[in-house]
Amino acid sequence: MRQRAPAIEKPIEGPHIALELGRLAALLVVATLLQTAVAANVRIIGANPDFALLIVVAVGLLRGAEVGAAFGFVTGGIVSIALFEPPGVRSLALIAVGFLAGRYAETADLSPNVAPIVSVFAGTLIAGAITLVSQFLLGRQAPLAYLFDHWLVPVLILNCLLAVPLFVATRWWLKGERHARISEA
Amino acid sequence: MARQRALRRRIVVVTLVVLSVALLTVYFREPSNGPVHRVEATAMHVVSPLQSGTARVIQPFRSGWNWVSNLFSAQSQNRTLRRQVQQLRSQLAQELVAQQQAAELKGIATMMHKYQVFPQGTRFAQARVIARSPTVWYSTVTIDAGSDQGVRMNDAVVNGQGLVGRVTAVTPAASEVTLITDQDSYVDAMTEPNGAAQGIVAGSVTGDVTMQYVDRSEKVVAGQVVVTSGMKGSIFARGIPIGQVSAVAQQDVELYQSISVTPWVDFHTLDLVMVVLQ
Repeated sequence: MRQRAPAIEKPIEGPHIALELGRLAALLVVATLLQTAVAANVRIIGANPDFALLIVVAVGLLRGAEVGAAFGFVTGGIVSIALFEPPGVRSLALIAVGFLAGRYAETADLSPNVAPIVSVFAGTLIAGAITLVSQFLLGRQAPLAYLFDHWLVPVLILNCLLAVPLFVATRWWLKGERHARISEA
Repeated sequence: MARQRALRRRIVVVTLVVLSVALLTVYFREPSNGPVHRVEATAMHVVSPLQSGTARVIQPFRSGWNWVSNLFSAQSQNRTLRRQVQQLRSQLAQELVAQQQAAELKGIATMMHKYQVFPQGTRFAQARVIARSPTVWYSTVTIDAGSDQGVRMNDAVVNGQGLVGRVTAVTPAASEVTLITDQDSYVDAMTEPNGAAQGIVAGSVTGDVTMQYVDRSEKVVAGQVVVTSGMKGSIFARGIPIGQVSAVAQQDVELYQSISVTPWVDFHTLDLVMVVLQ
């Protein structure tokens, strides 16, 4: 007699956790290399894409707020180290982005095609604001108009263009369903 | 259950934020051999070979991209040569990489000979750019030479076109170079000929380079060459070319002139550099 599938989802444990962590670690390496060695060479419409942010958003959407925030923290730390930036600033921005992307997926009814773009758009704005304030506090100053024209707007456009392809690639790599609310939509 | 989950979520986020702020605070407060800096050095030991490998892999694509961009700006030549070029494209991409490196090395040698900047016996470490900051906030690059090659903090970095910047962080296998366009870069400089006007060449977030603190009485005109002045205590040798004066502005209410400088180094295509070892 065939057994019915359990009604409550089994918690991830044992080898599944190891596999999940392995996949996230590999994703971390890819995000770091894309952000440090490739992003600076991809200059379109006067800006460089933020691959780390795009992947953190994808992880947040696919794995929820806690994993998104933790992944953002680690990614921000490693990318900062690899670029000799003060550690912490990028982590702060990516924690917020990963967490909010995760919460967005957990709470909102979204069209699966729109979710990555909306999340990346909002994530880029939030990360930009956090970076701006942090850099200002660290004593680095820049004209706001210049930052708006030469940094925020081009990066927003570029990130939104890359949001769906990178989300699809991340979903394929994590072999995961999108978060329940999104996949149902 | 839901309340517990919400609580756990909040605890995770608050912990991560506190960790980030603590990391940032410790980083700025500790000496350069402190624990966070040591972790950074250790991590770079692992990351820099990966970056170096990735940089090598994408180098032909980058050269190819630059090559395609150049073709667009030379359309008339492009039309006649396109057919031939397409057949040779794969070979050409590799050839261009080798040629570019050779030209850069030759340029460095020429600069050193022409300007006689560095005294006999000065040692250099050749390095390749393996990563660069993709944000507007920092004008820095990472090179694949570190303390194992004799690189130390504040070593000057040059290429065939002139002064690139200075070393601002060192790990055994890689170093950070702060470019002269960075907001935190200050280089003591003078105008040629005669070195009459002396000042400080400073970068900015916008990438504009200006020569500051030049007395109003000094006559500076567009086109003059700007070189390092090598004042006592400076980390740069005297006479390393920086760029050319592009504009001079004087206002009655200001004590100093405002001088715009166009750097000679093309920072977008920076690849091979030389670190001047102390």
